[in-house]
Amino acid sequence: MIELTSDPGWELLEEHPLETEFDIVKARQSVRQFAKDAGMGIVDQTRITTAVSELLRNMYMYAGGGIIRIQKGLFDHHQSLIITCLDEGPGIDNVELAMQDGYTSGQGMGYGLPGAKRLVDDFELQSQPGKGTTVRVVKWK
Amino acid sequence: MNETNITNAKQRIEHIEDILSSVAAGDLDLRIESEYEDDLTGIEEAINLLIDDLTHELKKSLKLKAEMEEKLLKIQEQQKTILQQQEDLMELSSPVSKVWENILILPVIGTLDSQRTQVMMENLLQKIVATGCTTAILDITGVPTVDTQVANHLLKTVTAARLLGAECIVSGISPAIAQTIVHLGINLSNILTKATLQDAMIYALRKNEQLINGKVVLNQAINEETI
Repeated sequence: MIELTSDPGWELLEEHPLETEFDIVKARQSVRQFAKDAGMGIVDQTRITTAVSELLRNMYMYAGGGIIRIQKGLFDHHQSLIITCLDEGPGIDNVELAMQDGYTSGQGMGYGLPGAKRLVDDFELQSQPGKGTTVRVVKWK
Repeated sequence: MNETNITNAKQRIEHIEDILSSVAAGDLDLRIESEYEDDLTGIEEAINLLIDDLTHELKKSLKLKAEMEEKLLKIQEQQKTILQQQEDLMELSSPVSKVWENILILPVIGTLDSQRTQVMMENLLQKIVATGCTTAILDITGVPTVDTQVANHLLKTVTAARLLGAECIVSGISPAIAQTIVHLGINLSNILTKATLQDAMIYALRKNEQLINGKVVLNQAINEETI
């Protein structure tokens, strides 16, 4: 799995594997709860939850599963919720293309990745064909 | 050492061998018996002690194994229950009801995964054909997260219903979800949406009224023509 550079000061809230569609629901619920606990409003809660939902669905559909890690801590001088999705799937051949609105290699609408990026404050994606994909989204108050 | 002693020792060693092979075969009740007290006795006793320990450990591990199996069985049963409940939930969560002349309501609650949407769409399309209703309200007040997949499913359901001649109204989109949909970049503009179920119902009733008025006008026209 590809690990992104992280801050040792971040506090790990939750980390678990994602194997079934049911796990997506569970992960989404905990993200919503953590966002609520962090003092985010209903709109921000919905945004981060939806962004994570997009990433997890991608992970489930294209990589067959992976790991979701939820952390909190200072990001760019803001108290933030940091969510990382790691998988060992086929990877993304053309990241630039995948980030374009309306492009999909599967059955989806093609708004998942670019949409998720618009919903959060920071978005980082690293992918290597054959090794996997890691996406990290950050939302602050 | 005389010859009798040697034969004796040979016999005793053979006895030890017999016992050990029986123990290895699983008969743990056997112990080495001897009426002599000499150098071999220590070895015999040590072997007996080892067999004792082995018996004890074996019993313990058997007991643990039985416990583990019992626990595993319990977990398997629980898993079965969970799967059953998931199936039950799926059936429960897509009721389509006719609430008024020409109007169907489908309240959607919880998460829309691909399997559930399939069931939901089938139910709705069947009901449209069976009742001949031309308006269907999909109320998503109970859906906490609308991501691209959910939106895609909604679009497909609405399109399929349209092919059968029914117009769908999606109601119950909260302000937070509306903003999220816009940010995601999903275009839902070719779906008729209303903020609340009440708005959707009013719209549907108005449409009904027009339909009935239209029928009256049409009937009048036909009557006048026949006169």
